Amino acid sequence: MFEGFHDVAWLEKTRAEGDVAAWMALIPYARRIGVSAVTDPQGEGLLFRLDPRDGNVGNVLLPALHGGVVAAFMETAATLDLMLAAREPRLPRIVDVSIDYLRTARVEPTLARCRLLREGRRLANVQVSAWQRSETEPVATARLHFVLEACEQNA
Amino acid sequence: MTATPEAWQRALTRFVTVIPHTRELGLEVVTVAPPEVLLRLPWHDDLLGDTARGLVHGGVLTMLLDTACGSSVLCALPVPEVCPTLDLRVDHYRPAVAGQPLWVRARSLRVTASMVFTEGMVWQEPEERPVARGIANFVRLGARNTPPGFAEALFAEEQPHV
Repeated sequence: MFEGFHDVAWLEKTRAEGDVAAWMALIPYARRIGVSAVTDPQGEGLLFRLDPRDGNVGNVLLPALHGGVVAAFMETAATLDLMLAAREPRLPRIVDVSIDYLRTARVEPTLARCRLLREGRRLANVQVSAWQRSETEPVATARLHFVLEACEQNA
Repeated sequence: MTATPEAWQRALTRFVTVIPHTRELGLEVVTVAPPEVLLRLPWHDDLLGDTARGLVHGGVLTMLLDTACGSSVLCALPVPEVCPTLDLRVDHYRPAVAGQPLWVRARSLRVTASMVFTEGMVWQEPEERPVARGIANFVRLGARNTPPGFAEALFAEEQPHV
């Protein structure tokens, strides 16, 4: 069996098992910046976590995380959350992202929570909030649109 | 700031090599013609967002646009100031593919007392087939909130110890 996001059997199986680690194995940039999925202590869904590694620093004076790395983290979170939350196994392709930076992101663990605001037949809208010490003080919020691609049946 | 394009190219090279994330990825400042910059990110397998299909992670393009637009801000100001990103919007025109460098051209469009407005475009050859477009707004923190020697460090003759 060929393993990849476009293989519907593989996507169905990993999705049913909630095997986000199998998905992360195919996303080298997300691994490089240190993204992982963690269980949400307040609910049934997932939160996402960005490791505070030195390679993610964008401002050595403060120091602070690179805003683009925080954005890449939030895009990864939105994509994986959508793959889990969608009605059926679909492969999201990003259309656009808009991110607001609210506070300096320190070199500390960062968490993100996603909300699927709309899942249409072809398009999805996902909202992401990222925070460090307290969820009530987000470091950034983002909204993203994705096209939901049909999987190849005979990949 | 009255510096030659070559001096700006060296200064902004210093800027992106002091940033750990872009230094480790080998981001290069190719040319600077204030208030416009041209950057090049060499290919690296860690840029992938889908190994099976060989597609670049969308977040790489966001990171590149943030860095390039932020670089254009420095050369658009009367004197370089620390300017954090206020917000950033990226449109993905087509997927970027494995194995080719990513180019990004960014420029500052307008400098006000409190803000700098910028835009940027990312492509893989040729430039006429862009993969992503971004617009980013930056906040001017002003001289009072910029560390003393910030501009001088950019233009120093020796590489700063990092």
